[in-house]
Amino acid sequence: MDKILRINMGADGGPKAEAEPVGSYAGMGGRALTSAIVSKEVPPTCHPLSEDNKLVIAPGLLSGSAAAMSGRISVGCKSPLTGGIKEANSGGQPSQMIGRLGYAAIVLEGKPKDDTLYRIYINKDKVEIKADKSLKMLGNYAVAEKMKAEYGDKVGCISIGPAGEMKMAAASVAFTDMEFRPTRHAGRGGVGAVMGSKGVKVIVVDDAGCSVRSPKDADRFKEANKAFVAGLRKHAVTGQGLPTYGTNVLTNVINEAGAYPTKNFMWGRFDGCSKISGETQAETENTRGGEGSATHGCHRGCVIRCSGTYYDKDGHYLTKQPEYETVWAHGGNCGIDDLDTIAMLDRLDDDYGLDTIEMGATIGVAMEAGIAKFGDAQAAISLVKEVGKGSPLGRILGNGAAVTGRVFGVERVPVVKGQSMPAYDPRGVQGIGVTYATTTQGADHTAGYAVTANILGVGGSVNPLKPEGQIELSRNLQIATAAIDSTGMCLFIAFAILDQPDTFQALLDLLGSFNGQKLTGDDVVGLGKSILTMERDFNRRAGFTKEMDRLPDYFKKEKLPPHDVTFMVKDSDLDQVFNW
Amino acid sequence: MKPSTQRTTTAPREIALTMSRNAVSRFLPLLGEGILLKGPGGETVEAFLVKTAGVSPAYLKERVQTVFLNGKALDDFSTARVADEATLALSAAMPGLAGAVLRRGGIYAPMRRQISHEAQSQNAGGGEIYITLKLFNMVARELGPEFLKRGVLVPGVRLKDFMERQGRWAWEGCLSVKIDGRPAEVGPAAELIANSHWIRLSVHASG
Repeated sequence: MDKILRINMGADGGPKAEAEPVGSYAGMGGRALTSAIVSKEVPPTCHPLSEDNKLVIAPGLLSGSAAAMSGRISVGCKSPLTGGIKEANSGGQPSQMIGRLGYAAIVLEGKPKDDTLYRIYINKDKVEIKADKSLKMLGNYAVAEKMKAEYGDKVGCISIGPAGEMKMAAASVAFTDMEFRPTRHAGRGGVGAVMGSKGVKVIVVDDAGCSVRSPKDADRFKEANKAFVAGLRKHAVTGQGLPTYGTNVLTNVINEAGAYPTKNFMWGRFDGCSKISGETQAETENTRGGEGSATHGCHRGCVIRCSGTYYDKDGHYLTKQPEYETVWAHGGNCGIDDLDTIAMLDRLDDDYGLDTIEMGATIGVAMEAGIAKFGDAQAAISLVKEVGKGSPLGRILGNGAAVTGRVFGVERVPVVKGQSMPAYDPRGVQGIGVTYATTTQGADHTAGYAVTANILGVGGSVNPLKPEGQIELSRNLQIATAAIDSTGMCLFIAFAILDQPDTFQALLDLLGSFNGQKLTGDDVVGLGKSILTMERDFNRRAGFTKEMDRLPDYFKKEKLPPHDVTFMVKDSDLDQVFNW
Repeated sequence: MKPSTQRTTTAPREIALTMSRNAVSRFLPLLGEGILLKGPGGETVEAFLVKTAGVSPAYLKERVQTVFLNGKALDDFSTARVADEATLALSAAMPGLAGAVLRRGGIYAPMRRQISHEAQSQNAGGGEIYITLKLFNMVARELGPEFLKRGVLVPGVRLKDFMERQGRWAWEGCLSVKIDGRPAEVGPAAELIANSHWIRLSVHASG
């Protein structure tokens, strides 16, 4: 991956593609690369939908190699939702393909002078950019079918649905999975709107004739990969819990803890939780689709396989297994306890190209505003269809919870920097609230997700009896997460790393042997810090202040039942998160 | 629905199902909604589970990584005590930061200090107590079949709701039914479930 493909959509005479050496970005991948390019090349005060913004699509450092779990991909830009820097992360097939094509990143720049919609085809010999009116306002599923008919099923697609074309701030970028379905999404922050603003409907990547990327030290790499896979398989979370139930295994547990945001963050428990739990979901999938339906990878090379396939009551494919955050957003957060409804909403979100977290949170706000009643499943489906149609109401909803709350006069709007909070109430798990408040990305549970900080030795040991303990933990988690996001590795590897030092060593060996270097925990920490520094600097230049590193006031005032807790971390402590 | 530990003065009716082997797991989510357990009061969580539920101390230590007592995350089940009408929930290690945070005695436990179970200063009391036990995820998968075989006490209304949610699969794979030890048909069993305050349900795998 020694080149960057830059496609100028606003070039004189029509879009032009040019590959250039990776240059000063050498050695970067995933989030490190997207954030470096955006931070260096995008004017921080530009309009996110303007020609000055760039959409950077970057596979991880190991994508395209034989390393297990290395198929994640990062999409970066200035976010239309938060106004700050954005990295949204996805699974799917294209990451490995882009890696094998030799590109460290594909960068969409400029903007067409009219509303022409383009498709881009990339293989080892050429980059073809064609205007294609037939794709206009198609859903992601129809786009994938059209591309498959034309190019076969061995390629991968990166596409936007109608939400991206309408430049909605909740629009996602879809990546096709192993079955050529557009079920994997870089969901957060409106990255789909930026792709829409560039006039690009779909990028087809074709790695035919390309070989798997070779490590510099093949023997060491092979050994490390073997040890890494064995470590993942033997761990209770990555080898059993996630493959059996998927991420939705968290529903019962978070609900029991009283930290499950219910009906727009009014309660911490949802009465209908067991009806939509991971246990119920897995049994439903296996009963309807046959044993094994609840266990599936999001890309080739995934050994955790935390996804699955959701079938309707008649046994027909409806969508991929909705994740915990999706089930919460469209389920408990809206008072809906029906898995079939939630799966339908997930399918609609994927087809229109919408972030499921943002849409679920937005419908929760709309329900509080009286647009529909909490628990009304059909109303929720109708509201998402309004977004797909682009009606005036749909345009409001498609721009997220913050806009919807403002339009309908709702005070309880669970956002930070304009982005909706995910499925963990920060009053229940206050350390996650610290991350929601301070991350560069807007409220985001994955920004401080890599529970590896103790292994990395980031920030020294934490005294749990001191209030600043949560600040230090959040800081350490954010540093570790930024680093893992840059490798192209799935964040779920963190659990095996947390408990098994030999698995962490295997990961370091995997990364080191690929590049022929010896990598240490300190190197990983240094990478994480440098990414966060770049992102913080971009946000500062975009006008962000420390006052934006806060949760909405009501989290400090309204007690969350059943434990009746408020968010108690002081503002002055939040300001210490990035002091290292 | 919050599990009610209200007791009846009459003995609960018993329904015993024999299911095809692969259909037994369909009942496991029911265990996550809560079953009623009777046992001695004043015991620690660990002792109560070992004595009353037949769970081995080794299993508790190795596999049960997340425990909630009355909705609060528990770090040490060898000291916390269960009282009458308590709700106890058991889970394996969970993913996500939240999973790591909620883990028993984990390094991220400070991040949920506000919802952690605090050590009790007073005695939880003796005598006979009833608690609601919830088994989640891998714990339900591993301990659940034995619980179901021995029989679990569940509110009839919850079992009715659970069976209705299964749709056309509700009784699929059901090879035989017994009510209070006597062979019966599916219809009367469904009717009994709909009209009983409490049911002792046992589910056996065929073969």
